[in-house]
Amino acid sequence: MIRRSLYTLIAVLMLASVVLTACGGGGAGGGEKAPIKVGAIFDLTGPTSDVGTPYGEGVKGYVEWLNANGGVDGRQIDLISADYAYKVDQAEQLYTQYVQEGVVAFEGWGTGDTEALRTKIAADKIPFMSASYSANLLDMNAAPYNFLIGTSYSDQGIIAMVWAMQDWKDSGHDGTPKIAFIHHDSPFGQSPIPDMQAFADSKGIEFMTIAMPKATDFVAELAQIQQFGANYVVMHTVSSPAAVLVKDAKSQGMMDSVKFINMNWCADEIFIELAGDAAEGVVGTIPFTPPSSPVPGHEDADKWLQQHGSSLAEKGLHYTQGWWTMAVMTEGIKRTIEAGKDLTGENIKASLEGIQNFETGGVTSPISFSPTSHRGNTALKLYQVQGGKWTAVSDFISAP
Amino acid sequence: MQSGIFHTSYRADMALRRTHAEKIRLALFLVFMLAFPFFANRYYLTLANQVGIATIGAIGLNILTGYTGQISLGQGGFMAVGAYTAGLLTARMGMPWYASTLIACLVTAAVGAVFGIPSLRLKGLYLAIATLAAQEIILWGVTHWDALTGGVDALVVPNPTLGEMVMNTDFRFYWVIWAVAGITALTTVNLFRTRYGRAFVAIRDQDIAAEVMGVNLFRYKLLAFAVSSFWVGMAGALTAHYRSIVTWERFTVDVSVLYLAMIIIGGLGSVSGSFFGAAFMTLLPAVLTNMGRALKSTFPFVDAILPFVQQAAFGLVIILFLIFEPEGLRKIWKDIKDYFRLWPFSY
Repeated sequence: MIRRSLYTLIAVLMLASVVLTACGGGGAGGGEKAPIKVGAIFDLTGPTSDVGTPYGEGVKGYVEWLNANGGVDGRQIDLISADYAYKVDQAEQLYTQYVQEGVVAFEGWGTGDTEALRTKIAADKIPFMSASYSANLLDMNAAPYNFLIGTSYSDQGIIAMVWAMQDWKDSGHDGTPKIAFIHHDSPFGQSPIPDMQAFADSKGIEFMTIAMPKATDFVAELAQIQQFGANYVVMHTVSSPAAVLVKDAKSQGMMDSVKFINMNWCADEIFIELAGDAAEGVVGTIPFTPPSSPVPGHEDADKWLQQHGSSLAEKGLHYTQGWWTMAVMTEGIKRTIEAGKDLTGENIKASLEGIQNFETGGVTSPISFSPTSHRGNTALKLYQVQGGKWTAVSDFISAP
Repeated sequence: MQSGIFHTSYRADMALRRTHAEKIRLALFLVFMLAFPFFANRYYLTLANQVGIATIGAIGLNILTGYTGQISLGQGGFMAVGAYTAGLLTARMGMPWYASTLIACLVTAAVGAVFGIPSLRLKGLYLAIATLAAQEIILWGVTHWDALTGGVDALVVPNPTLGEMVMNTDFRFYWVIWAVAGITALTTVNLFRTRYGRAFVAIRDQDIAAEVMGVNLFRYKLLAFAVSSFWVGMAGALTAHYRSIVTWERFTVDVSVLYLAMIIIGGLGSVSGSFFGAAFMTLLPAVLTNMGRALKSTFPFVDAILPFVQQAAFGLVIILFLIFEPEGLRKIWKDIKDYFRLWPFSY
């Protein structure tokens, strides 16, 4: 009996899947006021879902807000999105499906999917933006359709060192500080090392790098840093190991002699929440202004969220990041329509490459692209945790 | 009217396809696979190609785990060896893609045999951990051996070409992948009609008895690792040429677990089971996502909870299968066939 009903269940499931997938494959509309299709994948349930969820909500939120305010030139944006749980195979499935359905641009998420898709997006000519700011996406031959909104990890690392040198001088020291770079043990974490090493060499800075192991404490790594005599520690990882590390550093009494500078994926509200008191005084290179330092660029998102029973302060800076990433992509689409050109990936790419000093209301430094560079943004402000909030401690600093 | 399949000669008993119905089904399946790409759009072709690569990988793992009884959590690592070898040979040395694919298979077979050495002393859970170590060591090597793999950066592989044709469009690579999958299936089915295959099965069923009968355990276990890794490397190499980029994040330990799930759900020690499992595990997320999308338009609230329901459904379906049919999809398929063949006198 059980067996029979199981077969019925399987039969129903299979039938349903056939029917539903058949329905899903509708053709792309071509009418004058047809919605503009944009594809997106988010990590809502995978290993990076803690930051992927607010980022995805930000991308979606921007589209909903824009559509409620008339869309792009009277046309709505149809954002087709799904969770891919940070699985490369699923990212590929969803990407192909959405391209099949006629999306003209694509919003990705992590290093895994951005790298895996970059040859296909170049072949399909689909402009692509994601939250992966690895500098090798700036190679125009290898990744001609990738656009970077955030400051690249290399630039962030160099800006952190520039700030450290200034801070060292300001606090009355001579010479150059010793800087340690502790990073996530992955391509994501390693990617800024060559550029940072070159910068350190050119300034005569003593520089060391340590990969963070998968561990429950980082006392051994801190001992290495102390032995090296680092004055500044630049950290490039995600929030939870970063929080563990500063907690360990606090219990070792290192917080007075060493300053920690976190790069963007470990400088957010989650880090403060996890690290608690130990977060106090930690500096962060944050390309997207956190809601705790209000700027005009936060207002639309905050108002929109408040209409829907939430607030930007609650969602955090990753929501802003998603919101403005989508806004820049939309700017490319808008300019293509205004120029009277067909909405194709190629034309949108050309329009994006024409963007000069696009203002994001102070959320980022102005965004510029050109046909030879997709490095949207080379500057950022540094923030420090003061009273449990990220507070700006510098103006926009560019990587030299 | 039949009450079962009975053979009157050894020849009939040994045949690969033993009944007319099996031959007709195989013919129908072949016709479907040949016609499919001409009707399918790119999305369905991508899914079909992913299933094809997963089938090759799953058959490879099944040779080791299903037939020889040596559990392996190193699948992702071995696929990485195949993908990086093929990618590097083509990208750095300009070797044609088919040649680099073949060499990648041989290299993976060698690497697999080396990591198979502990299997002589270790069994079951202990071997699982040893192969897990292989997975971690290989991935660590891939991400840290900068001089060879380029380390940090993803490895871009030039598009495979045949004459003037760029091969890795979804349509063209479909033929490559499924031709290889066909060869994999055929050789594997036949492997287990030879003394080597029977030795593998003997080792699985009772290794001490096998040794008493004269099966050289050391040799045959390593051989099983090598043969298995050959096909796993093939799956990796095809991935590299198909996507024309190799990133380490495609070969994490999750992949090893996913492939184990494929062969357990499909059916251990079965080639058709490997195919069923590969198709099931590859298509299930796509089906769930599309069902979710269809529901979203009718029930807007579904949107917010959908990803979590999908994850739960994925787990639930797997658990249900294991409870109701531990022998896998292959057994379900057999039961369906028997039901119709023996109707109305089934018992």
